[in-house]
Amino acid sequence: MAATAGDTPAQSPTADREIVISRVIGAPRELVFEAFTDVRHLSRWWGPEGFTTTTRAFEFRVGGVWDFVMHGPDGTDYQEWITWTEIAPPERIALLHGESRGDPDAFESVLTFQLDGAATRIEMRTVFPTRELRDEAVEKYHAIEGGTQTLDNLAAYVTEVLRSGEQR
Amino acid sequence: MARAATTSDVFNAIAEPQRREILALLRAGERPVTELARELGMTQPGASKHLRVLREVGLVRDRRAGKQRLYALDARGLRPVHEWTGGFAQFWNASFDRLDEYVQDLKHTRQE
Repeated sequence: MAATAGDTPAQSPTADREIVISRVIGAPRELVFEAFTDVRHLSRWWGPEGFTTTTRAFEFRVGGVWDFVMHGPDGTDYQEWITWTEIAPPERIALLHGESRGDPDAFESVLTFQLDGAATRIEMRTVFPTRELRDEAVEKYHAIEGGTQTLDNLAAYVTEVLRSGEQR
Repeated sequence: MARAATTSDVFNAIAEPQRREILALLRAGERPVTELARELGMTQPGASKHLRVLREVGLVRDRRAGKQRLYALDARGLRPVHEWTGGFAQFWNASFDRLDEYVQDLKHTRQE
């Protein structure tokens, strides 16, 4: 566990309002990058198991928009709106992620695709406008996952403990 | 990054099973160290040492009640664990699991 915590550089100036996730995918970088460029691909893996998407509009270019609804396994719908701010194949994609056009709480994610031997390391660095919005996103996504089995016992336990602690 | 000291890192603090047992007992309410030590079959100095670590990472707080000192859960200290195990990061880790599977399929299809 300590090693995982250490994966995140501690000295970033936005450290208290960002979330960094990284993952090695056992496939060539061009192919991994491609999976982010077309709704035909994105709709096959976006969201945990049991989630689906319905796309209203999709145009993969800087300034283009992906306007879609994400359907949770419990039937809840989530409005999603994404616009790309930078596309540099096969290395980097930056996007703004909100619920609708002009969403003041939208946050920026920068995805980098690095070579890792024959595999590809994806790093997704998401910077929220404020620390409060980051915490809200964490809570919101906890709620989104509430109906899924991906939430393991530890997370459920921790959530319960957090709530009981905050009520005092 | 250097490994964080036990006293400053909540992940290290809860990696120790006896400290997790203390936290589980404190879920029911505040307790003095003597009771915690007795229930967990520890010596009192041993339990005190664990409580000190838990207090320093913000998982436990204490207050004086007469001659006793009572220890209580301070769940705000668990926020880093909460963030790590769930929410946004969990959503994306699960998505990346599916991405991995999907890209493997794509790779095999292209090779055929």
